[in-house]
Amino acid sequence: MNNWKKKVAGITLASLAVASLSACGSNNNNDASSSPSASASASAGSSATASASASTDTSKPVTLTMLLSGSKAADGEDFELDTLPKLVKEKFPNVTLEVQKLPDDQYYTAVKAKLASGEGPDFFTVFPKLANMGAIEVAKAGYAADLSDLTFWDNFSASAKNDMSYEGKPYAVSKGMDILGVYYNKSLFEQAGITELPKDWPSFLEASEKLKAAGVTPITMGDKDPWVIQFGMYQLAANSVYPADPEFDTKLQTGDTHFSDAGWIKTINQYKELYDNGYVSKNSLGMASAQAMQQFVDGKAAMIFTGTWDLPGVTAQGAAEFERGFFSLPGNDAGQPVYASASTAAGYAINASSKNLDAAKQVFEYMFDGSSPLFEAWAASNTSIPVYTGLTTPNAIFNDTLAEIQSTGNAYYFSNQMWPAGVSDAMQTKFSEIIGGKKTTAEDVAKAMQSKYDELNK
Amino acid sequence: MNRAVMTRTMYLFVLPALIFYLLFWIFPILKLFQYSVTDYNGYVQQFSYIGFDNFKTLAHEEILGVSIKNTLLYTFISVVLGNIIALALAFLLNANIRAKGLYRSAFYIPTLFSAIVVGFIWSYIYMPDEGLIASLLNKLGFTGIDTNFLGSYDKALYSIIAVDIWKNIGTSTIIFLAGLQTVPQDLIEAGKIDGAGRWSLVRFIKIPLLATSVTINVTLSVINGLKAFDYSYIMTNGGPGTSTNTLIFAIYKMAFTEQLFGKASALGIISFAIIIVITAAFVLTLNRKEVSA
Amino acid sequence: MTDSVSRTRSVFTHVLIILIAFVNLAPLLIVVSSSLRSPGNMTNPLDWFNEFSMTSFRSAFERMHFPTALLNSVILTGVSVVFVVLLAAMAAYPMARIRSKTSKFLYLFFLSGLVVPGQMVLIPIIQMIKDLGIPMNQYTPILMFITCSLPFSTFLYTGFIRSSVPEEMEEAAHLDGAGLFRRFWIIVFPLILPVTVSVVITQGVWIWNDYFFNMVFITKASESPIPVAMLGFLGDQQNPAQWNVLFAACILCVLPLLAAFLFLQKYFIGGLTVGSVKG
Repeated sequence: MNNWKKKVAGITLASLAVASLSACGSNNNNDASSSPSASASASAGSSATASASASTDTSKPVTLTMLLSGSKAADGEDFELDTLPKLVKEKFPNVTLEVQKLPDDQYYTAVKAKLASGEGPDFFTVFPKLANMGAIEVAKAGYAADLSDLTFWDNFSASAKNDMSYEGKPYAVSKGMDILGVYYNKSLFEQAGITELPKDWPSFLEASEKLKAAGVTPITMGDKDPWVIQFGMYQLAANSVYPADPEFDTKLQTGDTHFSDAGWIKTINQYKELYDNGYVSKNSLGMASAQAMQQFVDGKAAMIFTGTWDLPGVTAQGAAEFERGFFSLPGNDAGQPVYASASTAAGYAINASSKNLDAAKQVFEYMFDGSSPLFEAWAASNTSIPVYTGLTTPNAIFNDTLAEIQSTGNAYYFSNQMWPAGVSDAMQTKFSEIIGGKKTTAEDVAKAMQSKYDELNK
Repeated sequence: MNRAVMTRTMYLFVLPALIFYLLFWIFPILKLFQYSVTDYNGYVQQFSYIGFDNFKTLAHEEILGVSIKNTLLYTFISVVLGNIIALALAFLLNANIRAKGLYRSAFYIPTLFSAIVVGFIWSYIYMPDEGLIASLLNKLGFTGIDTNFLGSYDKALYSIIAVDIWKNIGTSTIIFLAGLQTVPQDLIEAGKIDGAGRWSLVRFIKIPLLATSVTINVTLSVINGLKAFDYSYIMTNGGPGTSTNTLIFAIYKMAFTEQLFGKASALGIISFAIIIVITAAFVLTLNRKEVSA
Repeated sequence: MTDSVSRTRSVFTHVLIILIAFVNLAPLLIVVSSSLRSPGNMTNPLDWFNEFSMTSFRSAFERMHFPTALLNSVILTGVSVVFVVLLAAMAAYPMARIRSKTSKFLYLFFLSGLVVPGQMVLIPIIQMIKDLGIPMNQYTPILMFITCSLPFSTFLYTGFIRSSVPEEMEEAAHLDGAGLFRRFWIIVFPLILPVTVSVVITQGVWIWNDYFFNMVFITKASESPIPVAMLGFLGDQQNPAQWNVLFAACILCVLPLLAAFLFLQKYFIGGLTVGSVKG
């Protein structure tokens, strides 16, 4: 955690998140009823009971289980698997925390099956809004506990709380904010004679062309893990869909907009262009995301599209020494401003039917109290941009992008957070055909997305 | 049959197994029939009955045809190739040579591996550019050969079928070997005296006597093929696109990613019908052949 | 046939088999060779055995919590297999002995369960477990292991009892006044030992290797068996930088079964053979 020391002063994250994510918050009609003041007053009352019960049952040994999506840190201590249980034990000697991590796909299966059986883990990963295992879905099903009574909400940005809320009540604590972007290799950019970071779509294509001409693979993507297709796509949508119609996804629900509208066709065509022009590594469909990442750190490709959460992978030691940079994929036309793709990050929820609800809530209180060793460790290990008052990102690589989002407010959320789970899969599956060299068109992709949306949006 | 000895009380012996089987296998399967006409999402415990909508939706969706085609192709190739290779190996290992046991074990080892481990190992073998096959070709000086096995629409399905064959060949070989060892030596000697050549010995004496092993191997590999799931799940995620979506993988995806458990159940029922019909057809045909042989 | 011809042929057969076996096992050799490298050794895996280090193994060992996972696997598999043997052998007894429509129906009824994949019925199974009030813990997968093993095990047992356990022996015992239970446990059960070996091996191997039911039912890391511990490596499967550790984990995962196989080779092969020839 060397980067932790390179704290850059001046950006207070609370204000940042409010500024940058106002665009997202306003889109979510489910959040309309949420009123921060109401939950704040509610929290005052119930926190008293929480702490009262704390004193009574500290003697009784309690085992809490936690099931998370993600994989273990490649080396060193993993915050959730190693640090978290240790620090919880230090503070609450009677509490044993058992943490298990599964890759996304396995996580969805396992956690849903467990929750449906009524024997879910005490803590589990929840994604914002409507996504697969999204806060809204989980709350509606009654699986996540209402966290309104926790005392730390004032320290979180309103959007982080709202995106994890259903009918005005928060159901999960987000890790922060994630930004999708392009990680790039500064030496390769220099070698290819790219002096200025691309600021719009034509200049991005131009830069890619220069890299290609210099014999460098411009972009590496692990399309064998098809979800990575989202990483580029949503950044383009943030420029080609939402600026023209910020309410696009809300209108989808009522049928006022369609994926076959110009915005998404443009988005898909833009992304298609990268493949058509041969800017993405040739065998991307056979390459998993980890292998693509390895190509990037080995200096074999100049760019990779992914998000803030992948920073540890991107900065891992590879075969080549080079400086990494980060920028938002500019899907904008020349003369237009760049919009970033930023969203509330995944977070932790508590099982509503947990037998140790109080103990679980106390762990949260301790973890997010702003000063405990656990809080410090969480903040230090967090790759998401913090949205907690007084915290700044320890990762200087994101500063430029962040500053831009902060000053302009030009950012939109990840599209899939407003789609039923399954639509993004339809997009990936159909777009894979384009990557595989089939005659599929952007219109076909949009059509597949729309018909899946119609099927799921009931 | 002695009625007094073999009484009906004996059926009590079935009870414990039957209870397990009914509770945790048959009743859940029957539940699928109920869910197939609902919009249950497998998750929120409330749903409504929507008639045969799920089946209708499936009927005009690409995924039904694709996954049936993939499953049949998977089954056909793994059954035919797997059994031919296993049979050939069994003949080879049945030769009167030393260290037979050692060789037999060498072919048997992969069958002990968990599908996860097999998936890991073969993902590495198939990886483009840096995988085992790619680097081997490179080392031997063959360049320009497309090594994008799992990422190619044309090759991905065949690549995972190969993995399945590799993993299961040991079991089939040993079952064939066992069958070969039951072929009476004097029958072969008699055949030789009658002037039968090597091939006729195989064709007219050994293969007919292998009928039981063939039935077992073919039946097991047909079922295994129709239930194919593991390698699509671990190695390709059904992709690229839907090119390695087998029926069971498609059901799984539908139930857990799209959260359409009702529709997944409907597809489950269709798969169930397909699997039953094909397996029954195989078993009946093979049984008839076995009797006549 | 002269001696030299047959010797040539025998050498040829050896060479052929060794070649095929080599191709068959080559991937495993690379896996072994890579697992013996230290995690940072990124040289081409084809330059095999260029380093002998246990650091990757140590790393994999710790990440999997190997001793715990091993113990959990042993418990899960052991308990399941004992129950499978008891239940399936008992169930097969009447199906083999009574020749009636009911008996035939039961036999096919059990056998037909073989064609249904567990992934398909997972959700209804979970609901059933919930409705029955069975807690979800480390031991819940055992229910499914037993259930899913019944079709094939009853099939093997029924075939074997029919063909290899003479009814006359039971009749003699009956005349001596032995009841049904005594007859089964004292006479039949010991005689079906060969097929029991077969059931233990075929079912034991799949139960040991199953990740699906374990992944769904087990929530605590400390209760996870080896295959679930292996799932944690899923993200690494295509990351060249993680290969050495991943491959070490694969070896650790395979080692217990491999050891069992090497020591009990005779039974493994014999078990399969009994099942297939007599079934």
